[in-house]
Amino acid sequence: MMAMKDMTMVNEPQGTHPRPGVLWPTVIILGTVFLMGGVAGYLDAHRADGGDGPSGLVAGGLVLLAGTVVMWLYLRRFGAFWQGWSRRKRLYTASVAGSGLLGFVTAILLRSGQSDVTADPFFSNSALSPQIAIGLALLWGVGISIAIFIYQRTIDDHEQRAYLWAGLAGYYAFVIPAPMWWVLSRADLAPPVNAMLLFLLTVAANALVYMWLKFR
Amino acid sequence: MNNQLKVLRAMRNWSQAELADRLDVSRQAVNAIETGKYDPSLPLAFKLARLFAMPIEEIFDDGHEGHDDGE
Repeated sequence: MMAMKDMTMVNEPQGTHPRPGVLWPTVIILGTVFLMGGVAGYLDAHRADGGDGPSGLVAGGLVLLAGTVVMWLYLRRFGAFWQGWSRRKRLYTASVAGSGLLGFVTAILLRSGQSDVTADPFFSNSALSPQIAIGLALLWGVGISIAIFIYQRTIDDHEQRAYLWAGLAGYYAFVIPAPMWWVLSRADLAPPVNAMLLFLLTVAANALVYMWLKFR
Repeated sequence: MNNQLKVLRAMRNWSQAELADRLDVSRQAVNAIETGKYDPSLPLAFKLARLFAMPIEEIFDDGHEGHDDGE
């Protein structure tokens, strides 16, 4: 009963405090991305010409880390504004921002870790180096698990409903086409089952239903 | 389910974002409840009732006349 009482307490919004703008975060994000690309490209080209120095991936990672620290320092200046947010809202924003950063790092690693630089980094099956493959698997398995755990604890009723229906849609988008494709491929009426294509289908179904229920 | 949320909010000159902050939910949740696209959970309905100092049945209307006596 106590838990219910606490859960249903009504918040009194804090007074207005200076809030972070859009300009500086945009400058920091774009600056970091361009600097990463520039530094990594220069170092990789330098090494390809027989020069010494760190790999573009390592240098790009350091630039990303520096950019993240600069962003954190900027946002930290608005401590009073963040204090006005509820704990749920702060954690929710942190989990969404963390997931975005994770996605960005994953994209960079996918791009830099494949042997065939002309292949599409996201939809090809070109070979990856073992170190990058293990790193990506861990990043996805551990990083996404932590982000989902935090996210699930911070969403409100409305978003939870959108999330649950979206999850069901993603499940149906897998269990209906997967066996169909499998039996058709066994009769040589379809190409072999492509797990990544099914994965993308479930993600697309999940995202569509989530967006519809959350934002319409 | 119909509700009086928009009227109650307007009487207090609150924006959807302000009401959302007071309830600790997203602005989209307030909008979805106001437009009847989403019926809140019981804890959230209680929270609304507490915020507006009104019984739940005066905020929400399920379209049934009178009281059910269970018979």
